[in-house]
Amino acid sequence: MNRLTLWPLCAAIASVASYGASTGTAEADAPSLSHDTVLSGLDNPWDMAFLPDGTMFFTEKCRGLSVMMPDGEVRPLLGMVRSSDFDDIHYDLFCEGQAGMMGVAIDPDFDSNRRIYVMSTSSLTPPGSNRVMRLEVSEGFDSVANRTDIVTDIPFKPRSSAHPFGGPGAHNGGRVRFNPGDGFLYVTTGDTHNGEVPQSPTLLGGKVLRIDTDGNAAPDNGAPDGFDPRIYGYGFRNVQGIAFRPSDHRPVIAEHGPWHSDEITALVPGGNGGWDPRPNMAGRGDCPDNYCGYEPNQMEGMDPEARAAWMPMTDLETYPDAMPPAWDNNMLSQGMSSAVFLEGDQWGDWNGRLLVGLMGIGFGGTPVGQRIDVIDLAEDGLSVHDVSEMPLPMGSGRFRSLVQGPDGNLYAAIDEGDIYRIVPD
Amino acid sequence: MKTAILLAALAAGGFGAGQAAAADLAAGEERYGVNCVNCHGRTGRGMASFPSIAGRDAEFITSRLKSYRARETVGPNSALMFSLADELSDEDIANLSAFIAETFR
Repeated sequence: MNRLTLWPLCAAIASVASYGASTGTAEADAPSLSHDTVLSGLDNPWDMAFLPDGTMFFTEKCRGLSVMMPDGEVRPLLGMVRSSDFDDIHYDLFCEGQAGMMGVAIDPDFDSNRRIYVMSTSSLTPPGSNRVMRLEVSEGFDSVANRTDIVTDIPFKPRSSAHPFGGPGAHNGGRVRFNPGDGFLYVTTGDTHNGEVPQSPTLLGGKVLRIDTDGNAAPDNGAPDGFDPRIYGYGFRNVQGIAFRPSDHRPVIAEHGPWHSDEITALVPGGNGGWDPRPNMAGRGDCPDNYCGYEPNQMEGMDPEARAAWMPMTDLETYPDAMPPAWDNNMLSQGMSSAVFLEGDQWGDWNGRLLVGLMGIGFGGTPVGQRIDVIDLAEDGLSVHDVSEMPLPMGSGRFRSLVQGPDGNLYAAIDEGDIYRIVPD
Repeated sequence: MKTAILLAALAAGGFGAGQAAAADLAAGEERYGVNCVNCHGRTGRGMASFPSIAGRDAEFITSRLKSYRARETVGPNSALMFSLADELSDEDIANLSAFIAETFR
């Protein structure tokens, strides 16, 4: 038996041991949880954003933007090209593969300006791009108007490529969040299976952007000379989670790994995430369609550690000043997506902890790992004190979005179409 | 759910002996819960970039799974399907195909 046939067992044992060591600590004063289903039958719900009274805006990847009022009534607001049951359809908005309508955020001054922000794929700029749209919500919450696209040039993958999951629309990032510490809007993007994108100073894929509500660069983003001033962080693969630590508002991202190493990274202004899937870099040769992101041996299972050595998520040899991850999911890739910091005494020991949702994927014997993890991030952001798996009060699912509501409860959207409310008892 | 599936199978009469059909469907359901539900979902309608398999007949599912097991590329998710189909026996594929065709009509 060779190493490749032995490793899944070893990985499973290592994973169990790791969780066994950490779970007891985290659960000592962890809350018991109950849940109810807020909405079901949705079409790939992607993100939610709440007003203080419980009004919930939510996106569905191929349908568009809707709002659920505090009494539970759902009102469609902004449809896409294939969503026939919306009164207001913007025909440039479309979904393809992983792309479509994604993140949503509410302006900190919503009470006075009625503004919300939505990231979506659009056909307005050939061959398609991802855009951040600013919308104004009517007083009666029954329509949106005055669409202004404040970012228009986030790359979209228009064609198939010779990679796993190589269809059009791959790797868009897609989360939009306001940092309560500085008031700026942070936008996460993905590498679109394009080797040139993550380290590019001008292409906005594989980045974290930090902008004002008109789309202008925030001051002191810190990226190197020659970079687009909107760039706050670069060198990422596919960032679908961003949250701000309550104690100091430091941005922390959650990122999909390739066939290895999902990563949690605490950002510094202008920092490099160290992802560089270009061919002929760091000892690598040519790669399929000029993207090495799943190599080596991209169509077959192999030891994630060997993969990570060959095509690291954070290449600290090539980029010694890159931001090291605080946690790499035990070198597994399991579809790490949304992130949120829990706040409030009702969460017991989890007050202040970082939650990340994992959509779950296994390859060549790696465990699927569909779950929500509770992470105790070190003060310096360079490691974790503890990681434990949330004991779910409902079944697991592909956890796409995690948001804490104004009632202090956790809201979790799964791709299958449900939004759950998880309540600490 | 298994009772309902058994009744459906018997009513449909699409399998040989009723008892054998129930065993196949139950085994297929169990395998679906391990290998397939994470991406194709509880109702087989797919999600994210994973396609719907609802409404597909057993012959189609069998053909696809055998193609993936033989490392034949069919669509952008082939690498993932290679990995999953690799461990399936002919019996597993027959059970899965019957379960999917019967349940996700």
